[in-house]
Amino acid sequence: MEINIQHLEDIVGADNVTDDSETCKAYSRDVSSLPKLAGQILDDQFDAVAQPVTVESLQKLVTYSGRRKIPLTIRGNGTSGWGGSIPTRGGICVSLTHMSRVLNLDDFGLTVTVEAGITWRELLIFLNRLGSTLPVYPSSATAATVGGFVASGGFGIGSARYGDISSQIVGVEAVLLNGKLVRVGNMVLTEPDQDAARAKSGTKWFMNWLERRGGTEEPDPMSYLIGTYGVFGIITKVTMKIIPRLQLLPFAVSFETIDDLVRASIQIISEAEPYHLRFLADNYTSKLRALTGLIFEDGKFILSGALLDTIFQNEESIETIKGITETNGGVVLDIERAQYHWDERLFPLRIKRLGPSLVPAEVLVPTAEIPSLLHDVRRKLGSSRFAVEGTMDKSGLSSFLVWILDDERKTVSYTIGWHRSFDIAALAKKHGGSPYAIALWNSMHAKEFYGEQLYEEFRALKKEIDPQNLTNTMKVFGGRVAAAWPSLILGFLGGFIGLSLALWIGPEILGASWLRDALLAQPVPFMPLPLIIFIALLGGLLGFSVIKFMSLKQAMTLVLPLLKTLGRVIGK
Amino acid sequence: MKWEPYGSRGKLHVIKSIVEGREEFDEDIVQKIFMCALCEHCTEVCTTSINLDRFWEAARRYALEEGLLPPPAAYARESVLSFGDPFSMGPSNRMIWSEGLEEIIQDRINKPAEVAYFLGCHVGLNAQVHDIARSMVRILDYAGVDFTLLGDLETCCGAPLVWAGDPDSAPPVNGKNIEAMRKLGVRKIIFSCPSCITAWQSTYYQIHGKPVRDEFELLTPSQFIARLNDKGLLDYEEQPMVTVTFHDPCISARRLKTTKEPRDVIERIPGVYKVETVPSEQETRCCGSHALLNRIDPLLASQIAEMRLRDVSVTPATMVITECPRCIRAFDLARMTLGYNVELKDITQIVAGSLKPKDSGGQ
Repeated sequence: MEINIQHLEDIVGADNVTDDSETCKAYSRDVSSLPKLAGQILDDQFDAVAQPVTVESLQKLVTYSGRRKIPLTIRGNGTSGWGGSIPTRGGICVSLTHMSRVLNLDDFGLTVTVEAGITWRELLIFLNRLGSTLPVYPSSATAATVGGFVASGGFGIGSARYGDISSQIVGVEAVLLNGKLVRVGNMVLTEPDQDAARAKSGTKWFMNWLERRGGTEEPDPMSYLIGTYGVFGIITKVTMKIIPRLQLLPFAVSFETIDDLVRASIQIISEAEPYHLRFLADNYTSKLRALTGLIFEDGKFILSGALLDTIFQNEESIETIKGITETNGGVVLDIERAQYHWDERLFPLRIKRLGPSLVPAEVLVPTAEIPSLLHDVRRKLGSSRFAVEGTMDKSGLSSFLVWILDDERKTVSYTIGWHRSFDIAALAKKHGGSPYAIALWNSMHAKEFYGEQLYEEFRALKKEIDPQNLTNTMKVFGGRVAAAWPSLILGFLGGFIGLSLALWIGPEILGASWLRDALLAQPVPFMPLPLIIFIALLGGLLGFSVIKFMSLKQAMTLVLPLLKTLGRVIGK
Repeated sequence: MKWEPYGSRGKLHVIKSIVEGREEFDEDIVQKIFMCALCEHCTEVCTTSINLDRFWEAARRYALEEGLLPPPAAYARESVLSFGDPFSMGPSNRMIWSEGLEEIIQDRINKPAEVAYFLGCHVGLNAQVHDIARSMVRILDYAGVDFTLLGDLETCCGAPLVWAGDPDSAPPVNGKNIEAMRKLGVRKIIFSCPSCITAWQSTYYQIHGKPVRDEFELLTPSQFIARLNDKGLLDYEEQPMVTVTFHDPCISARRLKTTKEPRDVIERIPGVYKVETVPSEQETRCCGSHALLNRIDPLLASQIAEMRLRDVSVTPATMVITECPRCIRAFDLARMTLGYNVELKDITQIVAGSLKPKDSGGQ
């Protein structure tokens, strides 16, 4: 694979492409600090970064890279930590941050249409100016892009009342990986629409494909684009719901136990319909410097959120929350403290300062299961330093986020400690939960996460439009790792030494001295090498091939137990 | 600025690589470090609470130590060290602004008083914003405040030295101002430029090892004017209906947290109708000319100012009020490049221009 920068410049514009190594390196990361070991299974640096500014140039880029077999990875601002936007095969990073216009605001239909690269913060600023706001936005709104959150799916601020992000999306436009432009759902756009003709023909193709697969309604065509991490297409425009910017009233209550908190939260969601509901466990509140010494907050379980309604309804709901809190043995914090916790909703990473690094583990669990999961997590993580928080959804599910504090400067210990993140995903399953995000690192759970039937449909579409798995490779579907040379050499040596030892010791144990003599014979005249060496070389080649053609799932299955065992040794 | 290595996260990755010995600290990273207005926005939105602006100041210091200071920053530093201001104008030009106000200020220079007005280099030496000083002096005179001025003894507050990577030279430079104020028995100091206040806070602490508030109260013009309003010392006359918006200077909003007082002051003036520009207060956008960015990359600085004026352009405001001379100068250029005919005033200018003449019933 050779990337011709001149060609890329011709496609997306000379100012919108770079192959500067420092820039490529900056784009090759997301919010997490991966252990260096990850570089052994991923080709983890981009060769070039492109920032298309029009849909047409993006289509051309997709077609060009498909023809030239150049891997593409789609990126918003890289604010997630599940590997969705990091390179696995090098290639080109398609950064969408310069497609960031607001295209339409429909005051009557209550929708806004934006380009995918706009940040949630900028969109909120725009809407607030006009007296509107968003029903749901991510806690990483200060930097996350609309396209990024829509492509990953999930909960955010507002989910307690409005559900997850997918229920807020009215229409999506995307460039499929075969270069076709599709629009699904109801895209609300202002005339003149320069992409209309291409979108019409692309959408027709997509609908025909769905028809051939058995219908255009089930599964919903949007489910191929929302929450699928760009493995089918690059989201370019999104039409989503907006709501009037009514009075927003923060509240915060604290409890002595997680059981009380969860009981109260379930009642608050059903009776007060809060806009947002977040919980902080005692091991979170005891670590935040800003809460030190506050008797109702330091080391307590805190439930905070906001009501979004008319003044009259909010006053009534505040009384409801007070009643529920007191019934469950909690304390209602004053408005200043409530405002503090509301303002902190966009800063969940404050805890990182104590790390100085964080290993995140986020899962989805039924809200009622939070106490027992927390209990199991405490037991599993033992003496590790960690903090738990989460967001409640109106459907009875919660995100349960474990921040494990660590220090990436201690390379070996940090690498070993990563297994804990995957352990927590396994614990969540026991409690009826699942990983929060699939992206790259949880791709082994994809079939379960999406459901077998939908997953099969996904595979069929991927095979149709990206048969060589060139775009967002290894995301969702897993696939072959890009083994680095040290791993390959290790595989070779493993095979070579392993087979040599087996052939050396085996005959001895079996008492077959004739076999040993045969193995020590020199089969090739003029080459003073015994047969055992030639066979061991074959073993080496086998080891090399195993590593070379290993899938991500196999690599994880091999490495995680090893890390876990080492973790026991060093107390992690 | 469209590429990630120019943003905070990208720059931090590069710095990390340098610390780990994988990359060199060279002109390229220095350019990125200086293409920043230190507007405190990154610090404000940093999800991990890293005080990024102090971090970038430390990185600038390292650039100076390595001899990699960009020429405009080196010029500003040399100029402050040689002339006492970042414009190489020297003390002899410090009083030009007062032409026509001799009657008010003739006995005020270096006169012992409880209140002092510290103009700062921008207001004191740039004709474009001299009217800010003239307005402030008129307000103080109108309210009958016994105040003092350092005149040509006033020197730079040291902020440009910090921005040019030389924070160690700032205390001796501003130390002259501190000593002069001390000798005059000053307790309250009004500053036209919010960056001067933060420079005073840090240099005072460096020199005396205690917070500046133990000796001086440092105030923005609106904080002081709000007090005069509360005491009823300013009488306003009805203004012809004008719709204004207040632009929060980054340092006032994010470091000094003074967002309420200017709004209170504006609302006190009859006939002036205030609308909010979004974003505002702590979430305000920079004017682009802080921390020497307007000298290091004037085009970028102007583009940032244009972005802020675009925020204003969707409001009904016909006048932008602010309280920072740097913002005024940046917006003045940007409104020309944008072709956006909006009026610009410092808060002292709108207050001074709205006072009822003393001979027509004012105090």
